[in-house]
Amino acid sequence: MKPGFDLDRLLNTLGAWALGLLWFLPVIYALWTAIHPGEFATRFELFAPLTTENFVNAWNAAPFARYFLNTVTLVTFILIGQFVLCTLAAYAFARFSFPGHNLLFTLVLLQLLVMPDILIVENYATMRVLGLVDTIVAIGLPYIASGFGIFLLRQTFKTVPKELEDAARVEGAGPLGILWKVYVPLAKPTYLAYGLVSVSHHWNNFLWPLIITNSVETRPVTVGLSIFASVDQGVDWSLITAATLMTSGPLLIAFLLFQRQFVQSFMRAGIK
Amino acid sequence: MSFISRVGATAGAVALSGLLAGSAAAVDLQFYFPVAVGGKAADTIEELTAEYVAANPGVNIDAVYAGSYQDTITKTLTAVRGGTPPQLSVILSVDMFTLIEEDAIVPFEDLVKSAEGKLWMSSFYPAFMENSGTGGKTYGIPFQRSTPVLYWNKEAFKEAGLDPEAPPANWDEMVEFGKKLTKRDSNGNVSQWGLRIPSSGFPYWLFQGLTTQNGAILANDAGNETNFDDPAVVEALQFLVDLSTKHKVMQPGIVEWGATPKAFFERETAMMWTTTGNLTNVRANAPFDFGVAMLPANKRRGAPTGGGNFYVFADSTDEQKAGALEFIKWITAPEQAARWTIATGYVAPRPDAWETPAMKAYVADFKPALVARDQLEHAVAELSTYQNQRVTKIFNEALEAAITGTNTPEAALKEAQEKADRILKKYR
Repeated sequence: MKPGFDLDRLLNTLGAWALGLLWFLPVIYALWTAIHPGEFATRFELFAPLTTENFVNAWNAAPFARYFLNTVTLVTFILIGQFVLCTLAAYAFARFSFPGHNLLFTLVLLQLLVMPDILIVENYATMRVLGLVDTIVAIGLPYIASGFGIFLLRQTFKTVPKELEDAARVEGAGPLGILWKVYVPLAKPTYLAYGLVSVSHHWNNFLWPLIITNSVETRPVTVGLSIFASVDQGVDWSLITAATLMTSGPLLIAFLLFQRQFVQSFMRAGIK
Repeated sequence: MSFISRVGATAGAVALSGLLAGSAAAVDLQFYFPVAVGGKAADTIEELTAEYVAANPGVNIDAVYAGSYQDTITKTLTAVRGGTPPQLSVILSVDMFTLIEEDAIVPFEDLVKSAEGKLWMSSFYPAFMENSGTGGKTYGIPFQRSTPVLYWNKEAFKEAGLDPEAPPANWDEMVEFGKKLTKRDSNGNVSQWGLRIPSSGFPYWLFQGLTTQNGAILANDAGNETNFDDPAVVEALQFLVDLSTKHKVMQPGIVEWGATPKAFFERETAMMWTTTGNLTNVRANAPFDFGVAMLPANKRRGAPTGGGNFYVFADSTDEQKAGALEFIKWITAPEQAARWTIATGYVAPRPDAWETPAMKAYVADFKPALVARDQLEHAVAELSTYQNQRVTKIFNEALEAAITGTNTPEAALKEAQEKADRILKKYR
């Protein structure tokens, strides 16, 4: 047995706490600033008066109710689209061999190397041809065929033992039945992890939605948030932090709720 | 309105006007606008647009908020390349060469034919027109325009034994006042700086105040030649660096733009240089008596202009171009320009706007609003060249290198000039 004092463990714990606090500091600052009047934005006084005025002002500065609805619609649409498309593509790449299999998969992987911002003009032209400019579908469509999603699911499907598939086939399941009954249930943690990454990425996306949309009915919260970042007039920290908390709040809460599955599933996806 | 129905309506309108030649055609216009001064400016633009549409049946204007200036030019260029440009947009005056190179915009000379129209085009302040055209053509109509001014805290001046009504008139006075205004405790910690010239993001703009005062012009009218290594520019940069290192009246290192008004309100600085776009904000939030002055002089007085112009886009029907022109005429007319100035602090772009009753009442109540206008006679065009984004980035990096002390002003500017030459050579 080692002696009771475990230096390694102590260092690990200290390190984890230090990193955690570092990560959390901006959030604490945002919270403090958001619930106090503007004078206290750069001054710390324990008993400074509390206020909800910043949130009210931020909410009223743009049609946020509509923006929230748009964002939720958008991330749901993207997520469903990605799940369907990536599952089918990943299944094909993982379990079927067909001519051009490797070439196609390389093309999918190549997509991971291309910055989406480079494609903005090309995507815009495509959306225009499709007659989709200024719609929520147009914001989501370029992201549906996600190379990362296909790759991640393919790797997961590859780890599923062949015997399970054979057993299902003996039971009389067709290819789609096998996918639905065997592969999808076993890949649940991967779906969850990928879903959270996808949702948070598209929740925060700004430039593409700003460019492809023109009206309140289609724009997401990030565009509403951008009106607070006006350098010419100086930055009002109280208002900005309140607006930031308000727009990122739903995501933070979702992450806290799912964080155990989230972390675990990533570890699994990585190890295998 | 969705894209399809808009295109449908336009096509319908065009077909209809073809059939009923001579009758007033319905025109649909899309108008991108950036906001650099908070949500209120967006409300004012939307309000003005709605008013115009209500008063002019047959014109439909879709005012689209397009983010910051940077986002707006990105959005516009994407739409232009994607084949659906807006019909009109407010974009930085310095992006003119970029838009010309893309063949995106038309000169106003092509749209304005009547003598009355020509008169309208000459009704704006010459300082604002300086970077609204090139090669004898006018591509931009000034609207959302600003210029930097000096704000000072009168209470801090009084405490330091200075005349609270006398801002520094020249560089020497600015340094001398700054020394008196900088408060240090016995450990050398500064609780109040004398001066603050923000340098984050786009340091070239305020720095252009210094170079102009020192008698230098940064770029030629054709937008294909820069003078970054002019000795007067080097001297101006040395002065900016000296403010922190030698005279110790300004916080060293890069000074944040966004935090500058707040630092002024919190008395962390007694004087600041920043845009007139801040006037309404400072008026509402400064907890002390403050003054606004022209930037101090050295060899001469001087300041750049800044902000956005109206542009009309090439890829539109003639009816749309005419409709866009009428709207621009209306929104830059004295009454509307006055309302815009009062709401935001931007400088009304034409002399007669300052003669309207609303403006006179505003100015009588708030004298500092006049300073920016009066400074216009000393103002020069904001630095603008072909490949403007790249050239100003090179210049900004040189300034940052000198401010942070990683390079001497002379070497940094010489290097910047060489890089700029390489880019601009093919435009000569």
